[in-house]
This record gives sequence, C-alpha cells and structure tokens, in this order.
Amino acid sequence: MRSMHIPGEKREGLLFGLFSVTLALLFIADILSGSVLIPAGEVVKALLSPPEAAETVRTIVLGFRLPKAITALVAGCALSVAGLQMQTIFRNPLAGPYVLGISTGASLAVALFALGFAPVMALGFTTTGSWTLAVVAWAGAFAVMLLVLFVSSRVNDNMTVLILGMLFSSAAGAVVSILQYFSSESMLKAFIVWTMGSLGSITTDQLTVVVPAILAGLLLALAKMKDLNAFLLGETYARSLGVSVFRSRLWIFFSASLLAGTVTAFCGPIGFIGIAVPHLARVLFRTADHRRLLPAVLLLGGNAMLLSDLIAQLPGLQATLPINSVTALLGIPVVVWMIVRNRKFATL
Amino acid sequence: MIAQATPYTLEADHLSMGYPAAGQDPGFVRTGISFSAGRGEMVALIGPNGSGKSTLLKTLAGFMPPLGGNIRWLGKALASHHPRELARLISFVSTENLRIPNMRVADLVAYGRFPYTGWLGRLRDTDLDMVRQALTKTGLELFAHREVITLSDGERQRALIARALAQNTPFILLDEPTAFLDVSAKYEIFQLLRQLASGEGKTILLSTHDLGIALREADKFWMLTAAGCFQGAPEDAVLQGWLNHLFDNPHMGFDKKGGDFFFKTEQAGSAHLSGNGEGLEWTRRALTRLGYAVVTAPPQEEEPGPGSSTPTLPPALAGKSPQPTISVIVAGLPPDTLEWNLITAHGKEKFHSLHALLSHLREIPPHP
Repeated sequence: MRSMHIPGEKREGLLFGLFSVTLALLFIADILSGSVLIPAGEVVKALLSPPEAAETVRTIVLGFRLPKAITALVAGCALSVAGLQMQTIFRNPLAGPYVLGISTGASLAVALFALGFAPVMALGFTTTGSWTLAVVAWAGAFAVMLLVLFVSSRVNDNMTVLILGMLFSSAAGAVVSILQYFSSESMLKAFIVWTMGSLGSITTDQLTVVVPAILAGLLLALAKMKDLNAFLLGETYARSLGVSVFRSRLWIFFSASLLAGTVTAFCGPIGFIGIAVPHLARVLFRTADHRRLLPAVLLLGGNAMLLSDLIAQLPGLQATLPINSVTALLGIPVVVWMIVRNRKFATL
Repeated sequence: MIAQATPYTLEADHLSMGYPAAGQDPGFVRTGISFSAGRGEMVALIGPNGSGKSTLLKTLAGFMPPLGGNIRWLGKALASHHPRELARLISFVSTENLRIPNMRVADLVAYGRFPYTGWLGRLRDTDLDMVRQALTKTGLELFAHREVITLSDGERQRALIARALAQNTPFILLDEPTAFLDVSAKYEIFQLLRQLASGEGKTILLSTHDLGIALREADKFWMLTAAGCFQGAPEDAVLQGWLNHLFDNPHMGFDKKGGDFFFKTEQAGSAHLSGNGEGLEWTRRALTRLGYAVVTAPPQEEEPGPGSSTPTLPPALAGKSPQPTISVIVAGLPPDTLEWNLITAHGKEKFHSLHALLSHLREIPPHP
C-alpha cells in the first residue's frame, strides 16, 4: 500500500538501514573475534589478499572464522524465516521450528542416521555425506510438520499443539537415548557435541551444501510470501481468496523443512531464534504484511545469530559456549515478554 | 398468465451436505436442500443452532465438498469453477474474530484485491481505487489507518464487509455478520447489506439469528428447520407458520400479528384494553407478559375524562366468554400525560406508569 500514505514508512526505511549496518558490523566483528587474538589488519589481509597473510592466520580466518560467520548469518536467517512461516501457518504466536518439535524431528532423523547406521558415518565429512545428512534432516523436519498439521487440524487449540510438540520432543529424546546406549563412545561424543549446537564445526565443503539449501528455502519462502499473508486470516479466508490451501501449505512446509532441517543437520538443534525473531520484527516494524515482515525477519535473524555467536566466544573466554545456550538465554526473555503481552492480543 | 422466471444466479439443487459419521463422531448430514437466489437479492439464512447454516455457506462457497446434488453459480457447476475464478465470484465473511496485531483497516480491506494481484501482491492504481471505494461505501474512510484490533465489534464487521467489497464479487456470503453486535450496529450492518443488494445488484446471502431485522430487511428467507427447508419471502415464512419450527420448546411461538416471538405463559385472566396511540400496543405487550389474554377494543368515541366514567365493565364484552377480569383504558399522550385507568371487580384506579399498573395487578388476585 505504497501510495496510501501509511505513516511509519520512513521509520521502516530507517530500521532496514540501521539493521543492515549492524548486520555488516556484527559480521565483521564475528570474523575479528575468536579464541586466538589476531590483529584486525592481519584478518583483513587474510581476507583480501590471502597469499600475503601468515599461514596460520590464513587457516584460522578463511578455514574457520569466515565459514562460521557465514553459517551464523544463514542459520539465523533460515531459523527466523522458518519460525515466521510456522507462526503464520499454525496461527500460533508460540510456534517455531524448535517449539513445535520440527528441529527435534530433524535431530531424530540425524540421530537415527548417525548412530543407527554406523557405517554411513564414514560419509559424514565428504560432500556426499553432507548431502545425505541434509536430506535425512529435511525428511525428519517435514515428517514432523505434517504430523503437527494433522494434529492441529483435529485439535483447534494452540496450547494442545504446543504440548504435543513438547511430548514429541521427549519421545524423540527417549529414542535418541536408546540409540546412544547402543552406540560406541566416539560416536556418542560426536553426537552429544552436535546436540549442543555449534556454528563452528561446519567445513567449507559443507557450506557448499548448507548455503544453496538455505537459499533454495528462502527463495521458496519469498515465492509464497503472498500466500502467507492469506494464511494470516485463517484457512477459510485463504481459500475464499483463491489460495489452493493444500498445495500452498505443502510448499511452505517444504521451504521451512529445508530451512530448519539444514540448520539442524549441520549446527545442531538451535532454539528460540525461530520463535523470538519474528516477534521482534513485528514489534519493531509494526506490520503484519509478510512482504515487509520477511525481509525484516531475515535481517533481524542474521543479526541475532551473529550476536549470539559473538557472545558465545566473548573475548577472554578460552572456550566457546554452546550456541544453543546463548540463543536460549537471549530468546526466552523475548518469548516470555510476548506471552505476557499476548494477554491483550489473542492470536498472532 | 405465465410469470417470467427469475434467472437464478445461485442454485442449490437437491443438495446433500455435511460430513459422514466416522468412528465416535456421529457426523452431520443434511439432504434435500433446494434453494435459489437471484441478482440483487438479499437472502437471510435462518435456522436454529446446529441446523447447518454454516455448513451450507461453506458448501456453497466450495470450502467443503457437497455429498450430493448440484450447486450452480451463474449457471455453471461449482466444481468446474477454478479456485481463482471462484475468488472473483464469491467473497466470504466468516464468524472468525480476527485479532491480528499491526494490521490496519486499509491492509485488511486490501486483502480483497488478493485474487487480482500478482505473486508479490503489489496493488496497482485500480486496486487502490477499489480499496478506497470499499472504505467509503462502508463509512470507514477515517478508519483506514486504524489497527483492526482497536475497532469496536461493529466497526470490525464493517471492515470485513469492506474487504469483501474490495474483492468486487457479484456474491457476498456472510456467516452471522450481526452476532455479538449491539442493536444499532446490527441495524447498520443490515442497512449496509441492503444497499449493496439494491444499489449494486449484489446477491447477498447471510445467516443470522436476528429474525426481527431479517423479517424487515431480507428479500428472501432460506430456512433450515427440523420440519424441513423453506424458501420464499419472509412474509410467506410467517404466514405459512415456518417460524414456529425454529423452536423445540412448545411454550414458544411466533406471534404473526405482532411480528415477534412470545413465550406462552400461564393464563392469569383476560383483559379488555382500550384507548389509542402508542401506549396501547406497549400496554398490550405488558399485559401479555403478565399472562393476560388481551382483547383490544377500537378507540372509544368519547375519551373518558378523569372521574367521569363509572366502574363497570364494557357491555360489549358481556356476552363473551371468558368474562374479562379487568379492563384497562389508556388515555393521554406519551410521554408526559399518559395514564392508565384500571377497572376491576374491586373498583377503579388510575396509574401514571405501566410499572405502577403492573405492580398493582401482581398484588390483586386475577380471579375474584
């Protein structure tokens, strides 16, 4: 509604500008910081003209920090967009890939794959292995999404769907425990490290899977942006506006599975970004229109994950904190505040 | 003389609808529904709760597959309309209470342009024009930038109708648009829909429980009752006694003369009522509520002046059975000089409000 003189358009432009700048700053800060202190000049040199930089600096910056920063950026975008899609499709402000058990579905699939099919683990560090891992996670995420959809079409109650998501997470946890019991020590350690979530374990090789998969998911999300608007009014209105509800929802699920599944497969289950960021976007940008919310969520998601990563490796700390704990501590206050505020505003 | 048949633009022919029983679910199926509506008609869908009003609307709109029979929109079978085509034919206003933060009225109304815009949903000038027109027609110009959640129930309902208008469809289906509204908002909504039907030739189908207003405003009734289905003019429904089928309760009925529902009470006695003006009708209602069988006499030639009449019952009723136990004469003009003269076997008394009269009547035994 460009020409309807809606107030706040200027404000919106400013916000987009502001968060683009902070995104760039956070990205740079993320590359500059780490457990080893490297002067900024050296980092820049390694980035711009690698041959001139010292061997170790080059390895750390190009082989470790840059992939990690890119991972943080795309993972933040992916989880936040998936969260926005879930909240709109289920018309549930508390929905998100983690809360609904979609990340758990991906985790379970990965666990079954990694722990249950031990010989296949050898594939884990090759490109083929990465793709297999990703496909398994997508399938797991998609399966849970369909399950949640089935339940939510029968039980028209937000809380019940969330409780079922929790129950599903517990069940998946139980299955994983059983798998762990029967698996070897080294695999167990690898799996436990994976469940704590890590942005840094991604190799440049794996990035060639992660980035295209997430880009595909985001493109699909963009293509279905208009339909998301219709779903905001509920299924009846979406249908009456000419949306092929079944097909459109399937595409959106597919997109969310790609986004949440990929992140979960390679970074572990990262919670609360997906649920908190869309709410922040709604509050800051004051819109319900997905054509503006989606870019806003992308920006804020990238910001949030890069910030979490920076906190996880606070200067002075030798070890890196599990990213999962940082996002939980950042995201949960937002969710709590949203629940309190939600007393006034019933649905989204 | 052969009447020219109205070209019906919406037809339901021997329609079966609902969903079959499955497991514990007893299901809900209704068969043999044949209804039709023409251009510019405002049709009120009437029926008790659970009679299938919402199901019928959803089935007609294509949200639910029919179990049998035919539905034709503009002479073409529902199933052969593409979803996108249907969206330009029928707009729907559901009972759902939309509470979406940050959504402005203009945003909501612009949703109506959804079937006309491209994949980005970008609004062209014609779309913006339609949105503005819809806002104007519903009297919401000044509300365009208000958030939907801050609107009153009546305003929100108007915004939802504006959204349907922006969709620019020849048919508008509304599921209980007047539920939860206060009296004046109910009338406003009916009036708005009336204008859209008469003024713009839209076919409007709405389900409602507000019979009084529907009787006055609707062109046609479609009724779903336990006794079967009815379609016709609202007045036909009254005269053929269909409104009585809206009740399970044998003590309730529809008063054809008063155009209102009544609750059959125990007979307290009979009352003879005379006088003129507005006071007469409201006195009749009050006495009826108290349980009197009221007989209204034509206004008397000579108004009995205060103190001039003798405390006797009118001779005109002497031969009738049962003998009226009381007689009430309404005199004066509302609102200030209205007074009620009560004549009973105990004597004559004067009251200055119906409340005083009724309080007195509750005290005295009806059958002396």
